[in-house]
Amino acid sequence: MVPQPLVTGVSPKEGPPGTRITIRGENLGRDLKDLIGLKICGVDCLLSAEWKSSSKIIARTGSGKGKGDIIVSTKSGGTGSCTVGFRGFFVQIGPLQESAVWIDETQTVLNQLGRRGNTSPLAAKDDDDPLGISDEGNKQKSEEEMLELFPECSGNMSLENFSPAWYLLENHQTASFDDLKHGLTNMRRSARTRSEGPIAFVKTNIGAILDCLDSLDTMYEKFSEDDIQRECISSYAVSLMQAKSCADGLFQDVLGRKDKADATRNALNVLQRFKFLFYLPLNIERNIQKGDYNLVINDYVRARSLFADTQVKVFQKVYKEVESRVHAFREMLHDKLMKLPNTLEDQKKLIKYLNHLECKGDPAWECIQNQQQWLYSLLTECKTHHINEPDEPVINQRNSINGAQIHYTRGSRTSGYFGEAGWKFRTPQKVLFVEELTEIMTNNFPDFWKLGHAYMSGNLTMKEEGKNVKSDQTNIFKQMVSSTIKYFSNIVRAAFLPKSLENLAEDKLKELGIWPDSQQEISGAWLPHCVRYVRSCASSLCGLDLPSDSQELIHELAFDMRTNCMFTMLKQAINDVRSLHTKETWVVELDDEFGGTTQLPALFENIVNEAIQHLHEVVVQNRTGEREIFGHRTVQKEATSLCTKLLEAFAPCLEQLAFSKTEQVATSPVQLRYSQDKNTNRDQEDLIPTKDKKLIIMLSNCNHTKQHIIPRLVENLNKYGYVETNKVMQASQDTYNKLDEKLFEAYIEEKSDPIVGTMEPNMYRGHFDWRHCRQPNDVRNYLKEVIMAMIEVHAEVHSISPAFICRVMVKIVDAVVEELSRLIQCVPEFGTNGILQARLEILCLQHTIEIYKSENTITSFKEALEHLPDAAQSDKRKMEELMNKFRTQMKFQLMCFTSDTSTA
Amino acid sequence: MSKAKAQQPAVIHKVIMVGSGGVGKSALTLQFMYDEFVEDYEPTKADSYRKKVVLDGEEVQIDILDTAGQEDYAAIRDNYFRSGEGFLCVFSITEQESFQATAEFREQILRVKNDDNIPFLLVGNKADLEDKRQVTQDEAHQRALSWNVAYVETSAKTRANVDKVFYDLMREIRSRKMRASQQNNGQKKKKKTNKRKCVIL
Ligand SMILES: Nc1nc2c(ncn2[C@@H]2O[C@H](COP(=O)(O)OP(=O)(O)O)[C@@H](O)[C@H]2O)c(=O)[nH]1
Ligand SMILES: [Mg+2]
Repeated sequence: MVPQPLVTGVSPKEGPPGTRITIRGENLGRDLKDLIGLKICGVDCLLSAEWKSSSKIIARTGSGKGKGDIIVSTKSGGTGSCTVGFRGFFVQIGPLQESAVWIDETQTVLNQLGRRGNTSPLAAKDDDDPLGISDEGNKQKSEEEMLELFPECSGNMSLENFSPAWYLLENHQTASFDDLKHGLTNMRRSARTRSEGPIAFVKTNIGAILDCLDSLDTMYEKFSEDDIQRECISSYAVSLMQAKSCADGLFQDVLGRKDKADATRNALNVLQRFKFLFYLPLNIERNIQKGDYNLVINDYVRARSLFADTQVKVFQKVYKEVESRVHAFREMLHDKLMKLPNTLEDQKKLIKYLNHLECKGDPAWECIQNQQQWLYSLLTECKTHHINEPDEPVINQRNSINGAQIHYTRGSRTSGYFGEAGWKFRTPQKVLFVEELTEIMTNNFPDFWKLGHAYMSGNLTMKEEGKNVKSDQTNIFKQMVSSTIKYFSNIVRAAFLPKSLENLAEDKLKELGIWPDSQQEISGAWLPHCVRYVRSCASSLCGLDLPSDSQELIHELAFDMRTNCMFTMLKQAINDVRSLHTKETWVVELDDEFGGTTQLPALFENIVNEAIQHLHEVVVQNRTGEREIFGHRTVQKEATSLCTKLLEAFAPCLEQLAFSKTEQVATSPVQLRYSQDKNTNRDQEDLIPTKDKKLIIMLSNCNHTKQHIIPRLVENLNKYGYVETNKVMQASQDTYNKLDEKLFEAYIEEKSDPIVGTMEPNMYRGHFDWRHCRQPNDVRNYLKEVIMAMIEVHAEVHSISPAFICRVMVKIVDAVVEELSRLIQCVPEFGTNGILQARLEILCLQHTIEIYKSENTITSFKEALEHLPDAAQSDKRKMEELMNKFRTQMKFQLMCFTSDTSTA
Repeated sequence: MSKAKAQQPAVIHKVIMVGSGGVGKSALTLQFMYDEFVEDYEPTKADSYRKKVVLDGEEVQIDILDTAGQEDYAAIRDNYFRSGEGFLCVFSITEQESFQATAEFREQILRVKNDDNIPFLLVGNKADLEDKRQVTQDEAHQRALSWNVAYVETSAKTRANVDKVFYDLMREIRSRKMRASQQNNGQKKKKKTNKRKCVIL
């Protein structure tokens, strides 16, 4: 344990209750919390104790009276002791006594004057020994003895016949001479003080003197009542008056001082009480600087309630100053409120301040109007800026447009990605425009709306007025909202959907901005990007719960942008498909399933699929609250017809290629580019197919498209919600069927014509005559050539698309048989050998083309055979022989017609 | 508590600090009592300090009354002076008036105590402020000589001579008390003779 606390010093050592004393000593506690008790003269003073250090505590004394101990208790050292004490007393200072401390005289003076009887000078002197020496060894002489010694005398100091010797004998009989000498000096000194003048005397005995005066006064009253002997009273009255005036003179000085002191104290009080007001102008300024507006307003409101109607000149003056500062403050707040951009929170705060300051007018409403105008001007500025922007690269400038004040937090960064795909080297102005415009709306409109909303619901007006926001203001606000939205929607339309504004007057259109022709068309690839901006803007605006007409406007805009984008993109796709013919490389890729095609159909499918996919992502797919894009009948129709066109667009492409001249194709850049490919082993010539080859390739492409690609695409359309896809299917199937037919016809013609055309001359080669020919020993060459030619066709078709063999061969065979039959029937007369020869050739052909026979060939053969006269029985064996010979001879050739790859 | 008090030595030497305001009476007292120097000036009314010290091997208590030294308290002061056994009459060597005032204090003390040989030290404080000195050592010595007392220069700030003045004064008090008790005995005898004389008278 730490040693006990010990108090060894106290400053001051005495005083009235409440004296602030400094207590010093040892071990007065380690810290504030260690100090747990302080008693001064037995009164607990811990509450007032201020722990300073372990050797110093400052405290105020309690109501303890008399001398007492100062006891400090600490947690660490327990209850302590002291070597010094404190003496408590109650000061009562006379009204004329000098005092070093301020005395509240309202209490003491009256009290003292009240019980002044005690302070009678004579009575006081009675107890006192004028010599100031204490008695020791009291052996008093009796009164009689004294009277004997000092006749006619008395020991009473207040009597005329006072005898000092009597007094000394009576009171200080045993005192030494020295003591008596001391007593004499002491008495002289006190006499000196007394002789300092009547004033000193009066001062010390003020109570008694006032008493006298009072009783004289009452006596005088009594006398005048009793009306005893005039003169007597008058002289008495005169001396009384003299005494009074003398007394007044005596106190004039003091009273004057007192009055002055009172006046000073009053002034100080006023200053203290109204310090608030006098400091207010300065404080207002300071708090404004600090931004502590709430404080300013509170102070002002308080000052107004206190001083607004004051009559006091000084207050009026200061209050006027306050008013003028507040006026400036108001103005400043107002300006701040009108300065945009600003956050909603700040605006609300400012409005609240202004309302508290009882600003004239309606700051909230002004703010709303101002904001609308500002929004309008932002939109206009954005529009004009972009319309007038010269057609040159601006990508680096765009962030500085309109300064950084308007919060561009998102968007515009995405613009670059088309550039990297090599589409365009810079973002089109319109795209920049729509990015910025939608950003302006999404960033600033919600605050405007919320502000208006708060105003309408009475949150921004003073409470009493809150309820009666006029209904016409509500209407005006609604109009403001819808006109802003309309303006926004229209300037977007002016840029992207000028057609939808056709009904507007010329000047109105000008207002909305007329885009220069150079800007008029933007690449379809940019449109989805724009649509994305408009849509996200729309959805954020519609999340605000706007009035239905405004919401309608926005939805319509978004919808129109979407449809426009869709149509434009579909058209673009159609154009892309139409120009596909330039991409043909004539490299046929064989596929077991589908036969041979070039890459063109796949390209076509890709283009269509990509368009659909892209459209689906940015346009078709619905967001909550948006309109179904295919819900609209006209859109539906248009979409269907565009899809049909898109699917059909490949047909003319194929047709053009099929009938194109070889030279054209050969010079096409695609060809050249392809030939540079190192992986290609083919020669240049191989890449430029002959006309018939082109036909069959395109035919195969067409077929493949019709059978596989179109159904797949239609299914895709279906999946993405396009309607009436069966119509699309139907129409495009028809188109491709027609093309197929056309190509097929052309191909057959191309193939059969030379074969059929050479049959007649070849048949009669070497002046052959059916009548005089020799006995046949083999099928003649012309027929073999025909068969070879057919095999050639077979091979060609097989190399491209085995699936066509049957179809093609049947047609070719048909033509060949028909020609043969015609030739036979044209023979006017047959010799015996001729009959044999003809029959052999017919039968061999019949045998050869067995699997490709058709109704036509059967009748043709029948007609030809009917035209021939019957052969002799003996010749039949010969025929059999020759036919066998033909079969063995032509075994490999004939295999083409037997090995059936074509049944499919 | 009473136990704690009982431990304190019975012998108490009562010292009174006198001198004009601001000369460093409180500073000297606090430096002596608590080894601390108070920079700020706070007028004193009447402070009381008492602690145990060892004076030439003997445990005694020193009781210091630190007074205001101002005219306002003149009436009270007389009362205080009466209780004092020894006086440190302090002036500031940097303030001529405070030196002049020492004469008044001396007179008052002698008046109240009525004893020319009362233990008394003339103390010139603030000796550390040599450059502001207004009272020469010479004149101070002269005055001390005329009073038949010692003159010591101190500094409450540097603690120079602080212990010395208190201990020197206590020694004087002690020897004075011893003389007084002898004298008292003598006086008593004397008194008796006086008494007799008185009776004769
Ligand atoms: N430099 C210096 N200053 C002192 C010395 N003694 C007292 N003071 C300063 O003088 C001022 C008055 O001292 P104080 O003890 O309160 O005087 P008191 O009125 O005699 O009690 C205080 O600001 C002290 O710091 C000293 O020896 N040297
Ligand atoms: Mg002091």
